[in-house]
Amino acid sequence: MHRRTLLIAAVAFAVVVPLSAQEPVKKPRLAFVTNCVAEFWTVASFGVEAAKKEFPVEAVVRMPANGTAEEQKRILEDLLAKGVQGIALSPKDPENMTALLDKVASRAVLITHDSDAPKSKRLCYVGMDNYDAGRACGQLVKQALPNGGPVVILVGNLDQDNARRRRQGVIDELLDRTRDPSRFDKQDAALKAGKYEIRATFTDQFDRQKGKAAAQDALARWQDVAAMVGLFEYEPPLLLEAVKSAGKLGKVAIVGFDENEATLQGIVDGHVHGTLVQNPYEYGRRSMELLHKLLAAPDEAAKKALLPKDGFVDIPARAITKDNVRAFWDDVKQKTGKK
Amino acid sequence: MASPPLLVARGVHKAFGGVPALHDVSFTLRAGEVVALVGENGAGKSTLMKVLAGVHRPDAGSVELDGSPVELRSPRESLARGIALIHQELELCDNLTVAGALFLGAELRRGPFLRARAMAAAARPWLLRLGLDVAPHTPVAALSPGQKQLLEIARALRAEARVLIMDEPTSSLTQGEVERLFAVVRDLKAAGVGIVYITHRLGEVRAIADRLVGLRDGKNSGELAAAEATHDRIVALMVGRALAKAARTPHAPGAEVLRVRGLRTRAFPQQAVDFTVREREVVGIAGLLGAGRTELLRALFGADRAVAGTIDVGGRALAGHGPADAAAAGLVLLPEDRKHQGVVLGMPVDQNLSLPTLHRRGRWLDRRYERELAVRSIADLQIATAGPGQLVGTLSGGNQQKVVLGKWLAAQPKVLLLDEPTRGVDVGARAEIYARLHELAAQGLAVVFVSSELEEVLQLADRVLVLRQGALTADLSREHMGEQAIMLAATAMEAS
Amino acid sequence: MKKVVGIAVLLLVVGVVTTLGSFDPESGSYTFLSPFNLENLLQRIGLYGVLSLAAAFVIVTGGVDLSIGAVVCVAGCVLPWLLRDLEWSPWLAMPAVVLGCGAIGLWHGLLVVGVGLQPFVVTLCGLLLYRGLMRAFTDDQTMGLGDTAEGLRWFATGKVPLTAEFGLPVPLLVLAVVALATWVLWTRTVAGRHLFALGRSEQAARFSGVATGRLTILAYVVCSLLAGLGGCLFVLDVNSAQASSFGNFYELYAIAGAVLGGVALRGGEGTVLGVVLGAALMQLLPNTIRLLGDSDKLEFAVVGGVILLGACADEGLQHWLARIRRR
Repeated sequence: MHRRTLLIAAVAFAVVVPLSAQEPVKKPRLAFVTNCVAEFWTVASFGVEAAKKEFPVEAVVRMPANGTAEEQKRILEDLLAKGVQGIALSPKDPENMTALLDKVASRAVLITHDSDAPKSKRLCYVGMDNYDAGRACGQLVKQALPNGGPVVILVGNLDQDNARRRRQGVIDELLDRTRDPSRFDKQDAALKAGKYEIRATFTDQFDRQKGKAAAQDALARWQDVAAMVGLFEYEPPLLLEAVKSAGKLGKVAIVGFDENEATLQGIVDGHVHGTLVQNPYEYGRRSMELLHKLLAAPDEAAKKALLPKDGFVDIPARAITKDNVRAFWDDVKQKTGKK
Repeated sequence: MASPPLLVARGVHKAFGGVPALHDVSFTLRAGEVVALVGENGAGKSTLMKVLAGVHRPDAGSVELDGSPVELRSPRESLARGIALIHQELELCDNLTVAGALFLGAELRRGPFLRARAMAAAARPWLLRLGLDVAPHTPVAALSPGQKQLLEIARALRAEARVLIMDEPTSSLTQGEVERLFAVVRDLKAAGVGIVYITHRLGEVRAIADRLVGLRDGKNSGELAAAEATHDRIVALMVGRALAKAARTPHAPGAEVLRVRGLRTRAFPQQAVDFTVREREVVGIAGLLGAGRTELLRALFGADRAVAGTIDVGGRALAGHGPADAAAAGLVLLPEDRKHQGVVLGMPVDQNLSLPTLHRRGRWLDRRYERELAVRSIADLQIATAGPGQLVGTLSGGNQQKVVLGKWLAAQPKVLLLDEPTRGVDVGARAEIYARLHELAAQGLAVVFVSSELEEVLQLADRVLVLRQGALTADLSREHMGEQAIMLAATAMEAS
Repeated sequence: MKKVVGIAVLLLVVGVVTTLGSFDPESGSYTFLSPFNLENLLQRIGLYGVLSLAAAFVIVTGGVDLSIGAVVCVAGCVLPWLLRDLEWSPWLAMPAVVLGCGAIGLWHGLLVVGVGLQPFVVTLCGLLLYRGLMRAFTDDQTMGLGDTAEGLRWFATGKVPLTAEFGLPVPLLVLAVVALATWVLWTRTVAGRHLFALGRSEQAARFSGVATGRLTILAYVVCSLLAGLGGCLFVLDVNSAQASSFGNFYELYAIAGAVLGGVALRGGEGTVLGVVLGAALMQLLPNTIRLLGDSDKLEFAVVGGVILLGACADEGLQHWLARIRRR
């Protein structure tokens, strides 16, 4: 056993040393910056870890505790100060962060993931299209409510780009509108067409108790709510709690985003119709891979060749329902090392 | 043609919440004159002063300055017209420097920037004029009460005040400081400043005032020229009746109840103090301000930890103790700072009275005990209050002091310590407190009190202890105590 | 006492406005008064009321505890850990968490009384410290209870049925018990009297032989104990906690409820009933907005505005009464 390890090490040494002699021995330093703290990002950080094993890079994961743009700014500045060469960022407030992002892009290789900042000088975006994911979520609602009915949406806040786009996707799909990711319906707009109606959108500012309270109040106010949609990871379980407390399990369809344990359990139990999952593991792995390749590229032309034409590396969302929940859950457990 | 008087108030009325405080009060002050305003607590002296200083506006009546009517809307406006009020509670901000306090509100500056050095230089002559021997950059907090008082006056003079209103200026000054203040007052008088002087100390009135104006129950009660102001006539002006002088026959002292051995306070850790007090004894502690009198009482009571020493109260040893332990052993203190340490201003009379003894009745509130104690104490000590539920903060100083006395008497102490028990208390209430202390001593209590008024010490005490720089320099029995003996022990230079 | 009347009137006015505004012409009933909504509202009042009482304990001593939200976070993260990772019995885990939080209060009290630090500084640092430690401790993972606390969850989500439709939420009963105990302590015991006396004037109380240090420490211990209890109830309510956001700003809701109910920030003043009513108003207003409004964007503005208006009206009322009395 011991001898074999030594042998492998010796072979690896023989292979690696001549290779790395041509390149600088120092591994490039990369960073993966999220927009808040959530289990979702923990899965992503496993993807980052996987990339570290796969490629010769050093990488750190940074999560802003309060989920504010100021915090992200400080994190980015500190990373630059430390001499990080490549950064993958989920920008908190893309519209107003352009100047900051351009500054970052001028001193390091910058790409975005999860939420894009198309106006900045980031090289590309790794993730799913939140608008399309929203439309896919809308389809799940249609599936759950073939006869239509009023729908209530719960979301962390509405100043985040991905939140706005997801919500708009759900709305546009339910109202059978044409595809237009730039559309935005105000929170108090009357939204009804055909069988479906968006009764209201509530925000909870990431306070779980408040999210549950908002869902309960919606159920108290409108007896006829047919479906509730939670756009952020922690929200479908809160909807589940609220519907349970109202004694309406099975009567109000719940559709959500992401793979919170309670959401998946709800699907298994038949209380949650379905959830739309992103692939955070791949966000982490692919963005690190891309940064590694971009930094290793010898010239601009080689760099360009690595980037997709529309600047969008698509990692599509998947709909999880009763049919595929078991297989998916096992896969998640394996990737997060919980099994 | 004689020039008009400096300041005149005519027919002033002022009421608070329907209760009249001043009723048709008139008052005249000429340039270069010191007028003493005398009256009991609640007679309206402070209200009249505040009307003159622009703190309150009169409901009716007028104020004239140099013969022409003025409307004083705020203290700031009064000061601008040359009327300055020196407060009883010193109102200098403790965190400023002496120079900063002197120029507060009229800072020397260049643009938005303070000229600290220029102010320090400009402050020196003022400090010199008042004999205030401190550097301009000294923090106000480091000054003694007497120095603060002088600084307040310096501030008024700096603002070119022509009328100075002094409310109990000497209540916290040492003998030396009082004399310096009087010198300053005479100086100002000669310079044509008019001074209104309020005090409860009748000796001072005769020493400094040209004229006495009496107030009683919010009305003028007459005037006296300084020459005709005998003690009895002043009291009659204030009280409207003659007060019986407390007759004092010392009782034969009983067993020893307080034994202090080698007590070293934080303020004077080098000096060990030893003394004993017996039952039925009234012991006065005299000394200059800063001689360590208050520190001694606080250490005995456990309000401050002593550095070393043993205290024995009726056979119970106290060491490293707190006020709770002292009270349990039968040693209690009426503190000097009545408003902050003696009473809880925001609580009613009954709750203040029961505060130190409630826990002796068990863990649960004994409302009946509280009620009975309040009724008994109010009657016994003649506390002037609307009822047990009245907030202590709304009582006069003398009545607050009676509440402090009452709450400790309920604890049935063996030794009663008092720190300046009659400061800010008028003659009437003062006589009652003296009488009560004698009565308590007769019943067996040992009384130890600190007073800056020699007159009070001589009148009240059976024995006098004198402190100097934290050391006990004299223990004078009744035969040997006299003004001279005490002052000698309090001020003599260290034997070389 | 006057303050209690003021807050009660304000509560009543907002309640009536909400009731009338929530009329549903289809069913001919008032949504606000539906058993489901009332149960929800009372449950929230129970949860937040415990925190407001916690805050009040320290405020009456003249101090302040800014770490309540962070202690809620500690309880919310540690309880799932004990139950799921260490597989403790629920009936052992919850008392352990609450007592552990009490130890945090003891630490605060010793720093304030023994070392002489300012309460603001001690508890502000506590706020940062505990939340930061919890983030490290949980590795930023969501701490979910899963199905390990089904029995315990009765304390947060259970109800005692009164009629077929309506039951009293258990958190409200928890609040009732805590409030009653607090009321007895504050108004019927010597310790309570001493607590208020030291809040009014620490020096005068000390010079009267009151053990001010011990009582102040006790106040911080009780505050953190109650915050820990609240934290357990909150996590039992939503079934999971995330260290970075759980209980964020709850100290402000708690303090606002207490102060709204007439607890003076300078210390020595306050009633249990006032605190409970203040906490109730803090929960009623968001409910009102969600039942009547088209969007919740104005939530904070409405809460702030109504409270300010109430305070102004109260002040005006006092002046007016004083003027009438004077005549």
